[in-house]
Amino acid sequence: MSLATEKETRPFWTIARRDAAAGYLFIAPQLIGIVIFVLIPLGLVFWYSLHEWNVLANSFNYVGAANYQMLLADPSLPQVLTASAIFSAGLVVLNLSLALLLAVLLDQKLKGIVVFRTLFFSPVVVSLVAWTIVWSFLLQNNGGINGMLSAFGIEGPNWLRTPTTAMISVVVVQVFKNVGLNMILFLAALQGVPKELYEAARVDGAGAFKQFRRITLPLISPTILLTSIITIVGSLQVFAQIAVLTQGGPGMSTTVLVYYLYQQAFQFHFFGYGSTLSILLFVIVAVLTFAQWQLRKRVVFYEN
Amino acid sequence: MKLTYLKASAALAGILVPLAASGVTWAQDAVNLRMTIWSANEAHLAMFNEIAAGFKETHPNVTVTFEPIPFENYTTTLTTQIAGGNPPDLAWILETTAADFVNSGALAPLTDAFAATEGYDLEDVTEQATALWTRDGQLYAYPFSTSPFAIFVNNDLVTAAGATAPAELIANGEWTWENAFATAKAVADGGQADGLIVRDFNYQTWQNLASIWNGWGASPWSEDGKTCAFTDAPMVEALTRIHEAIFAEGAMPGPGENVDFFAGNAAMTITQISRASLLPKDDPFDWDLVPLPEGPIGAYAVVGQAGVGAFANRPNTQVAVEFLAYMTNPENSQKLAQFFPPARASLLNADTLAATNPLLSAEQLETVVIAGISTGTVLPGHTNFAQIQQTVRSGLDAMWVPDADVPAVLQSVCDSVGPLLAR
Amino acid sequence: MKTDLSPRIKVALYGLMCVLLIPFVFPTWWMITSSVKPISDIFAFPPDLWPRRFDFSTYAQVFELQPFARQYWNSAYIAAIVTAGTMIVSSMAGYAFARIKFPFSNAIFMVVLLGLLIPSEVTIVPLFQMFLGWGMINTHWPLILVPIFGAPSVFATFVMRQFFIALPTELEEAARVDGLGRFKIFWIIALPLAKPALGAVAIFTFLHSWNLYLEPIVFLSSTQMFTLPQALTQFTDAYGGAMWNIQLAAATMTAIPVLLVFIVAQKQFVEGLAHTGLKG
Repeated sequence: MSLATEKETRPFWTIARRDAAAGYLFIAPQLIGIVIFVLIPLGLVFWYSLHEWNVLANSFNYVGAANYQMLLADPSLPQVLTASAIFSAGLVVLNLSLALLLAVLLDQKLKGIVVFRTLFFSPVVVSLVAWTIVWSFLLQNNGGINGMLSAFGIEGPNWLRTPTTAMISVVVVQVFKNVGLNMILFLAALQGVPKELYEAARVDGAGAFKQFRRITLPLISPTILLTSIITIVGSLQVFAQIAVLTQGGPGMSTTVLVYYLYQQAFQFHFFGYGSTLSILLFVIVAVLTFAQWQLRKRVVFYEN
Repeated sequence: MKLTYLKASAALAGILVPLAASGVTWAQDAVNLRMTIWSANEAHLAMFNEIAAGFKETHPNVTVTFEPIPFENYTTTLTTQIAGGNPPDLAWILETTAADFVNSGALAPLTDAFAATEGYDLEDVTEQATALWTRDGQLYAYPFSTSPFAIFVNNDLVTAAGATAPAELIANGEWTWENAFATAKAVADGGQADGLIVRDFNYQTWQNLASIWNGWGASPWSEDGKTCAFTDAPMVEALTRIHEAIFAEGAMPGPGENVDFFAGNAAMTITQISRASLLPKDDPFDWDLVPLPEGPIGAYAVVGQAGVGAFANRPNTQVAVEFLAYMTNPENSQKLAQFFPPARASLLNADTLAATNPLLSAEQLETVVIAGISTGTVLPGHTNFAQIQQTVRSGLDAMWVPDADVPAVLQSVCDSVGPLLAR
Repeated sequence: MKTDLSPRIKVALYGLMCVLLIPFVFPTWWMITSSVKPISDIFAFPPDLWPRRFDFSTYAQVFELQPFARQYWNSAYIAAIVTAGTMIVSSMAGYAFARIKFPFSNAIFMVVLLGLLIPSEVTIVPLFQMFLGWGMINTHWPLILVPIFGAPSVFATFVMRQFFIALPTELEEAARVDGLGRFKIFWIIALPLAKPALGAVAIFTFLHSWNLYLEPIVFLSSTQMFTLPQALTQFTDAYGGAMWNIQLAAATMTAIPVLLVFIVAQKQFVEGLAHTGLKG
């Protein structure tokens, strides 16, 4: 009855309602996918984290918050979190600055620039296995890099066997592999900057560096935000390279959180505790991303 | 709840896998067994399929599928399958995870079934070989590969350095670790090549050092596995000697140095005999294969193993155990011996082994392979080995620097691994 | 920044780029040259820049030892379906999040963004249990469904949303006045304008699917079903040691076509991205 009265005053399918229905229809496939393939599995992982689950012994016992207490008391955790923070920070800074440098270079009007673009991008499609093996080779104490350094009379460090250089090495190897993606994003952003702005600045007497700082950087700031989110999130998920290059060593200096999680769950068979670490990883990534997303309002030039 | 789920999914898998994998006919009792393996080698698969075909003659309803999983991801994938409620019926098991699997109750007991199989001759399988895979007198996995550690020698490099070749030392009864290190040092001092490499050790897989420290009578933990023995005298002496060989003498390449014996870059390497396949064919050097030298405790041997087991409490466990009995009976063991050194005493003779190891001389087979398998102890293993391995590796890293205080490092290793062992 | 540069600066730029290229190109070069070396030469030290001896039989062996052509096809068709599917799902979702006002749209967008944040190791066990329950183990369904609808497509949705936000609204407003429905506006007006962004999404999605490693290993068990990254690890000798030269030959064949596509498509790709909301 109430429906009928409403119908008399205005049609049920107002533009706003029709729009809302269309909106839900449009996002339905994505949203249902996220519920089934992300939220439900995530809920299950949380459920596992409340259990002591030894896969081989087939024991699955409810232990409440015991895994979370274990997490707080885990003597390795501070080291692991520190290693993760250093790894991610190093990766993001190096990756973004190198990507930007390459993008600026590749944005120049030069013959054969396509060849260079392709070559800088090529590691992205090379098999990770082949990539890591070659680098583990080059980084040996008697490897190609130290060989090259000795030609200049420098005695290189034992890259993968010293805590500091091991961390540098895994960061650099990862950067070279994937910087091509960010480079392309930056290149695209640079090409989207209106050229008139540079001309106007030149008329005003601004030098190349000033142009870059005053015009380029602000205008590509949304891209910087996007790439830094992707890169941070990606950096927290790197473990295959670490497994091959250092196995988390020497000591625990390169054991980052996702590698530690992988060890606990898949190598040591502690699925319950591994799930607890997964939840921790998830919370960290979510907080970081949220913080960056909030930051955009202040730092990023404009978004609409 | 967990068990019903497992049962339901097991039944589900039993129905679906045959359909998906081979399209077997809908016979009521059609059984498809899955065996996960870490070799994707064609020759291996051909041999296993041949054995499976032989089994089908007496069990026409049974099909066996072999599923190769990359070695690096083997345990991860197997664990995921088990955790997901879809374990294979049979699986190869790494020696490092042997204790975990054998003690977990995940595997079906084999001894009674094997003993009841006609012509199986369980007595023939040597006791040393089965020790790792046995709990409370029951065998839980069959060691299908028992491969001794030995030393490959590059005689060209040794001669060029003016050092005494191991064969000569053996002939004179002087094949000891001291002389082996001396030979290695002599070659390394020449600067053209390195001395001795423990293959696959890489300053990470420390358990491979057992091929040396067993000569000192050292062991990483007590017999019952409960207490750390890294601080015991034999281990401290053995590791001090190894440290000296690496950093003071340069007889062994240091950490972070990539040297390949089979590319002709080192005088000697400790590895399993199966690695003979890596010897260069185009540009060969004069090589030899010799047993491990004598240590302070005298002669000793070390073997590495791989086992195969059947998962318990599965709908087809019984058939899987029957297949395992068939696969490892005397006749099929001989087939397996083409690739995997056997644990059966009756196959441990130069004639049988020569047919399948054409690269090795009768003498090498006798002194290295047969003696090694008959007397060798297996590499150290422990329940929860992966975590223990990782903890020890992390602790030992402090030792692989020139001025390390070996006893102090070993004390810290025991401090960190002790609680894990005591569990 | 595009100005004609003086010859001296050009030479300096070429020099700088060539030096920077070394760490990018050397590993790839090593992979390609090592794929035609006999196995004993591969780990020679120092590494050879040019093979001492050639052994081209490795490329033939790749196909003899594995159903490699079949595996190539698996990877190709999975990547194609995933790419097409992601383009549809993400452009619709991205359009709705950017353009259509509906209750809770921001909250829902935040929920969807969660997908961007979860490493695949975290959810692999529950996903395995779910697909087992649906009888989809050792099929390609998990490798198709999860990327199109699940976490990997979120990045694409994000890119599409950013693009549509930056797109001028005048055309759509005009279409609305003409009485076009939402779906028609999307299909006839917005989507054709979104070609550049779709191109970028396509390349990222294709690469992601093409390089997927953990999921195939967990979900697939028969060699006929394998995808390329998984197949690469399967070339081993009789004792389980890797046949590096053959593995590298297979790896080379896996990388080259994608590089060729990149060379052809890179201009559209870059320009496409330049017109998306990712720009400044």
